[in-house]
Amino acid sequence: MTNRRALLKGSAALGGAAMMLASINREARAEGDPIPIGSALPLSGYAAADGIEFRNGLELAAEEINAAGGILGRPIELHIEDTKDMGADVVTQAIQRLIDRHEVPAIINGYNTGTNMVEMDVAADNDVIFVHYNTLISHNEKFKSDPERYYGCFQGDPPEYYYGPGCLLFLKNLIDSGQWQAPNNKIAIVPSANEYSVVIANAVKAQAEEYGFTVSLFETVPFPTNQWGPTLAKLRQDPPAAIIVTHFLPQDLAQFMVQFLTQPTNSLVYMQYGPSLPAFREIGKEAVNGVIYSTTIGCLPDEFSAGYRQKYREKFGPNSAFITGSQTYDGLWHYALSAAIAGGPGEPFDREQIEKVAAAMRRLIYRGVNGTYRCDPDGQSGYCYPTQIGDPSLGMPHQFLQHQDHTTDPRLIAPEFYATHRFVLPPWFKA
Amino acid sequence: MEILGPVLVAGITTGALYALATIGLSLVWGALGMLNMAHGALLTIGGYAAFTLATLLGAPWPVAVLAPVAVGALIGAAIYLLVAQPLLARAPRSFETNVIIATFGVAIALENAVLLIFGGQPFGQSIALPGHLQAGGIFVPWQNVLIVAVVLVLMAATAFFLARTRAGRAIRATAQHREAAQLLGVPVGRVYLQVLALSGGIAGTCGLLVSSITQLSPTLGADPMLKAFIMCVVAGLGNLPGAIGAAFVLALIEAFASYGLGARWGFPLLLAIVILVLIWRPDGLFGRAAVRRL
Repeated sequence: MTNRRALLKGSAALGGAAMMLASINREARAEGDPIPIGSALPLSGYAAADGIEFRNGLELAAEEINAAGGILGRPIELHIEDTKDMGADVVTQAIQRLIDRHEVPAIINGYNTGTNMVEMDVAADNDVIFVHYNTLISHNEKFKSDPERYYGCFQGDPPEYYYGPGCLLFLKNLIDSGQWQAPNNKIAIVPSANEYSVVIANAVKAQAEEYGFTVSLFETVPFPTNQWGPTLAKLRQDPPAAIIVTHFLPQDLAQFMVQFLTQPTNSLVYMQYGPSLPAFREIGKEAVNGVIYSTTIGCLPDEFSAGYRQKYREKFGPNSAFITGSQTYDGLWHYALSAAIAGGPGEPFDREQIEKVAAAMRRLIYRGVNGTYRCDPDGQSGYCYPTQIGDPSLGMPHQFLQHQDHTTDPRLIAPEFYATHRFVLPPWFKA
Repeated sequence: MEILGPVLVAGITTGALYALATIGLSLVWGALGMLNMAHGALLTIGGYAAFTLATLLGAPWPVAVLAPVAVGALIGAAIYLLVAQPLLARAPRSFETNVIIATFGVAIALENAVLLIFGGQPFGQSIALPGHLQAGGIFVPWQNVLIVAVVLVLMAATAFFLARTRAGRAIRATAQHREAAQLLGVPVGRVYLQVLALSGGIAGTCGLLVSSITQLSPTLGADPMLKAFIMCVVAGLGNLPGAIGAAFVLALIEAFASYGLGARWGFPLLLAIVILVLIWRPDGLFGRAAVRRL
């Protein structure tokens, strides 16, 4: 169990956050009435791997926050509902149950798919804070449709839309800097049949020409999928300079690489999110070397997050994915600080207090282990650096990483400000 | 051919796996009139059983590949003794409906047990052949060759068992007419136990093979289970040879439709064919109403 002294002494990862919370709490111990915090996560079903990491992130953050005195002396008590295979009906019912049974003033989620952002309506109807990492532009659109109603809804990271221009900018930079000589200007885009994947693919497709690329193939695959033979046959028919796979399940992406490498083409392979998870390397093994991926949210491999990463793996095992747990970890910390600044978390239907917490969340620029969260008022999502904003201290980094050795963690190769390694040509490239 | 080769390989491999998943489901359906909704979970457990022995316990591969057979057979037998047999004994008239719900519950319990024990992160199956065969510009991974070979052997062995052995004849007799078989001295209870154990063993092996070209996850068996169900319905409930044929044909159609029409159209086309077949022949291509044959 972490105690207050050890927390403040030993946790570089928490940095100012713990100090700030402890300072607000003064000498308060987390001994008051618990503050129930809800979370609706996919703990079983196909996204269980991520759901479990989201729960881990919440547990670690709650433990640290409570060690720092909780929120104004009141400890956080987590209540988690399983959203299984997700979908609007299951997720909204889970959130409503959390509010009805436990009177949670805030829901801190990871992601849930297939909800059409209907969670925002549940949060709005009950006047609770709702933080999530669905990474969807539809959050922004819904928020903008009625900011008064959705005042308490926050997306903890930039929406998926920024993957599109961010990826094209990255590829163009590789060419311009001479790190990659593209054999042609063709790109193939392979989304899967889900909103997240399709929005990214469409964003790439819509802006490809602006960055000097032509889309030679746009092939939507089922979700989930692991038989890539027909898609690979099309790719080999007209080899593009880059293959952009916006499907995101790690096991399926690993299979893509295993099957691609039986007859590789001289194409860069860029993938979405999945390669950030340990399962991608574990399943694909050496076949993953050379793969590039990016994420608009993920624990940075820097000194600031070292303490968090170490603590996470000590607590949840060497195979745990701190890069996923970091999302809810930062989300809960940001909320706790904001609630403390606002003078307390409030409770459902206490709009006056919940609005104060929401206002504090909008004002507080929070440097977490994923980088900087600053709320974009035009959509209430995180700002994206560098595609949306040029100042790294005011936006969450859109990180580009490359698997260069499957036995170690992937290397951060962009953006330049955070990069720890240089891009290398994939091993399947033939001279 | 260089381009279409991978499509053909994908179609045949998938067809082989569908066929193997279908055998177990169709056997139980044909013999007991029981739709075993836990069949997919048995696939999952088979994959994890091999993984546990080979990767976690370091057992040699000949031992590890037998684990899915043994574990699948044991759980199959347990499903009969603990679920199917009591339901059949107490409410034989509503058995076919009740057992669907009951085995659905078993499936959820088994999947969640896997989730609790192994966690949600997917794993790679360590028992797999590396490398590939190159023939006429077509690259065929050795693992795919192995899968097709194992499936063909298992299909032949199952056919031999059903056609030429005493136990197999008892299963077929029970499938054709339970009461008549019982009057002729066939121990129906034991036959059912054998069928579920055999089906479980085949499902376990199928799980190992599926995981060798995909991954291990608690939902590993869900897709093969769905496809096996479709094949059984298309062929006619309980018609084993028909189901195997349907598995290969539909898998090839799915693969070539994915290539020709786009990857997302493969499965919808498959379902469209199923609907058309059922409109044309409501009891399936080879099915006969109220008659079960193995």
